[in-house]
Amino acid sequence: MFRRIIRNDILKSRTVSFITLVFIAAAAALVSLAALLTVHLTGAIDGLMIQAKTPHFLQMNTGQPNISRLESFAKKNESVTEFQVLEFLNVEGSEIVIGANSLAGSVQDNGFSTQSSSFDYLLSLDGTVIHPSDGELYVPIAYGRDGTAQIGDKAVIHGKQFTVKGFLRDSQMNSLLASSKRFLISEHDYNELKNFGSMEYLVEFRLKNLDDLGAFETAYINEGLEANGPTVTYPLFKMMNAVSDGLMIAVILLVSALVVLIAFLCIRFTLLEKMEEDAREIGVMKAIGLRTLDIKKLYLGKYTALGGAGCIIGGGISLGLSKIALKNIRLTIGDGGNKTLAISLSIIGILLIYLLILVYVSHVLRRFHKISAAQAIRFGGIEETGKRTNRLTLSNNMFLNTNVFLGIKEVFQRKRLYATMLSVVVVSAFIILVPLNLHHTISSPEFGTYMGIGRSDLIIRMQNTSNDDQMVKETVQMLQSDKDVSQYAVLTSKRFTARTITGREEPIKIELGNHSIFPVLYVTGKEPQKQGEIALSVLNAKELKKQVGDIVVLTDHGMETQLVVCGIYSDITNGGKTAKASFVDDSKEALWNTICVKLSQDVSVDKKVGEYGKSLGFAKISGINGYITQTFGPTIRSVGKAAAVGMVAALFMTLLITLLMIKMLLAKERYSIAVMKSVGYTSKDISAQYLSRFLLILTTGVILGTVLANTLGETLAGALIASFGAASFQFVIDPISAYLVTPLLLGGTVLLAAFFGSSGVKNIKISQHIKE
Amino acid sequence: MKKLIKAEEIVKVFDQGGESQTVLSHASLDIGEGEFVAVMGPSGSGKSTLLFVLSGMDPADSGTITFDGADLSNMSEDELADLRRTKIGFVFQQPTLLKNLNIIDNILLPSLRDNRKEAKWIKKRAEELMEQMGIGELADREINQVSGGQLQRAGICRALMSGPKIILADEPTGALNSKTAQDIMELFSGINREGTALLLVTHDPRVAARAERVLFMSDGRIVSELKFLARGREALEKNLIKVMEKMNELGI
Repeated sequence: MFRRIIRNDILKSRTVSFITLVFIAAAAALVSLAALLTVHLTGAIDGLMIQAKTPHFLQMNTGQPNISRLESFAKKNESVTEFQVLEFLNVEGSEIVIGANSLAGSVQDNGFSTQSSSFDYLLSLDGTVIHPSDGELYVPIAYGRDGTAQIGDKAVIHGKQFTVKGFLRDSQMNSLLASSKRFLISEHDYNELKNFGSMEYLVEFRLKNLDDLGAFETAYINEGLEANGPTVTYPLFKMMNAVSDGLMIAVILLVSALVVLIAFLCIRFTLLEKMEEDAREIGVMKAIGLRTLDIKKLYLGKYTALGGAGCIIGGGISLGLSKIALKNIRLTIGDGGNKTLAISLSIIGILLIYLLILVYVSHVLRRFHKISAAQAIRFGGIEETGKRTNRLTLSNNMFLNTNVFLGIKEVFQRKRLYATMLSVVVVSAFIILVPLNLHHTISSPEFGTYMGIGRSDLIIRMQNTSNDDQMVKETVQMLQSDKDVSQYAVLTSKRFTARTITGREEPIKIELGNHSIFPVLYVTGKEPQKQGEIALSVLNAKELKKQVGDIVVLTDHGMETQLVVCGIYSDITNGGKTAKASFVDDSKEALWNTICVKLSQDVSVDKKVGEYGKSLGFAKISGINGYITQTFGPTIRSVGKAAAVGMVAALFMTLLITLLMIKMLLAKERYSIAVMKSVGYTSKDISAQYLSRFLLILTTGVILGTVLANTLGETLAGALIASFGAASFQFVIDPISAYLVTPLLLGGTVLLAAFFGSSGVKNIKISQHIKE
Repeated sequence: MKKLIKAEEIVKVFDQGGESQTVLSHASLDIGEGEFVAVMGPSGSGKSTLLFVLSGMDPADSGTITFDGADLSNMSEDELADLRRTKIGFVFQQPTLLKNLNIIDNILLPSLRDNRKEAKWIKKRAEELMEQMGIGELADREINQVSGGQLQRAGICRALMSGPKIILADEPTGALNSKTAQDIMELFSGINREGTALLLVTHDPRVAARAERVLFMSDGRIVSELKFLARGREALEKNLIKVMEKMNELGI
């Protein structure tokens, strides 16, 4: 009998049961998928880094390193087990053409290497160490994924012909976050190309024990060894490999939380509707002496069945989906992970969802205790307690239309019931607005100032070479004689050593020059104007524990220079750790030079970029907008996609929940509707009352959601941006999309659902619900 | 006397668990303006359904009903609602008031639908009616704070608010004690004396004896009719005897 009741119940409310089943299955699938992916990702990263023997400490260096000094340091230091210096031949993107695709537009530093002999191997997709023959080219997997290269393509590097033999996994530079990409060629081919690019050196160490890394780093710095470039350690490589797929897992978990929430709301409204419908029967069951727990079991049974079916289907779906989702990890990082652990965790995740559903259903069913047998039999409904009618009375309403008034009064009388609907609208507005505002912000020109780049028109960047000064001089002469140039600033980046509060010495890159021509966004203070001033990026200020007015001590072979911190600024370039000063220094070589240029009005930036590209062959020229879109293009596109998906998901959720809510309300209010009709209110009048209720909730929800998106949402987005080094984040809001289109879309959805949902009023017959 | 309601050959069939049950079977009747008619009959004879069909709350399956010359079957749902709101007052056996409104708001509900601009005047009229019905002091009470009799009086006030041409009352005293029932009947008689027609379903011969005519129903038809030549306090006793004799004759 039990089974028959459950089956009949599910069949009777087929649509809602199906929707609930779909959401439970989706939630179970997503949680299980997240578990499978997490185990696989961590396992695959570990596997890749073990197979490739990733260095524990890497120091990139732009000048020729002193190998014998490094060797003696490695021998002397007991932690070191292996040491090597690899060459990385940086080649201008325009010199690399694969098939029909040129890498001229690439923001990556593309370079060539030969296979290492002892560690830091470049691996094939089946995990073996690649040994290319002459004429063969192995391409980073990132270019395989984005379709730039295909196996068998002909490639031309500075006029030399190659054939793409395969793709490679690089445990250091696989991630899109790594700004360099290594191509692998044979020794012979490498020697032929060697003179055409700029050489960078990778000074690499492997240690006995990774725990010694901190002490090793300090020893390396104290020795004053090569440090003319960024330093990267093993944990950072690991993090970089994990971050993009890790973000996907985080998004999956967030989406599954939302799906669980929708499933809960579906269950809540369906159950409340069912309990209202069955109130008389429940009353009778209570009256004849059935225990509340026994009656509860009847209702719990349906969700035990639905939840079980949903979770099994979800588990199946997740296994199917995991093949697609794992494709990317498998391709980029490789296979790995303990399968038993993955399956166990995924089953635990699914069971957790199942348990959550049963606990929630049981929680909603607590209302059974409130049903009085006598009340339910007499009135055919569940008596609500704590309702006050005296505050808003029809007799004192002098302004509002009666239907509108009755709608509003209802919302105020049953605040708890409508709070659910209100929170759905608030969450929807939030989900739509935060990604929308974030998208608009990061695609706005003002965002450049967060990146640590002033608002110039184009940037000329020159990597360190031996005749640096000469090249800068030539460029400046050219700019001075160019009538199209209205302003320019030469900024030279050099590496210094700063002493921290604890007395430790840390390398610090300082950009020297006039910073008042193209100022960046300062969180506090202002740009350095005097010789003794320094401005720090947010991340550097945090690391050095400095505030405006504090002193930064630079050390150089026992000499100390004191600089006052004059400002702290947002910067997400160069890992976010930068500094700016205006003092003159001739003691150190430049790491790179940047010349920011502002053009006169009406001069085409693109045309100028092309023009300078030809005359300044040694430099990389980028238009500022192009630079931002190239660096941030994928992020802007991802956030744009997230905004679109967020909007569709939020609108769908609003539509579904409004419909379910109205269905529940109609079941609950059949008697009141019948009474209204009996005294001469039309179905249209009653629908108008429903529309008024939802309009009030909608307006309040959109206002609250917008305020929340602009405060909490801004803080959250700010925290995300801050983790990359920018601070004092503020949304740049597009008023039309945020304040007009979003409310209209949400309003349209709610009112449409309310309109169609309340059409059921017509079907309520007076004589069936006013029992005589 | 001008006919207010004219019903001919009304049939109403209900579907009860897949089986059709004929509740009204070719019932015909008419009610004149200002007339007081009582309907009697055993349980299940179709009395309540007759009132629901005559008020347009339930459509008849066949037959014609005209109200003030207008055919109900040609009216839209909205027009039927307008008719109930402006020309018909309905009093149910159980007080059918909305739980989320206080007593006076329940009474004002139908009138404020169209005439919100006259809200002040409407409120005044409601207060006067409540005074007349003896519930003047209950205006701001919640409906769970008053007795069944007081709720029934509030229901009558609501039915009278629009100044209807007829009151349809379905056993209005059925759930009340005899003292309250008598008071309510006094009120109805007063309303009728002021010109409002009254069609009243009842089991109580003392209630029926106050009417001008009594219609007797059985199996969905009007099977007999009793007309009183004299009315008023003096005739009440005689009329009561006639009703009881008829009931005996029909086996009610």
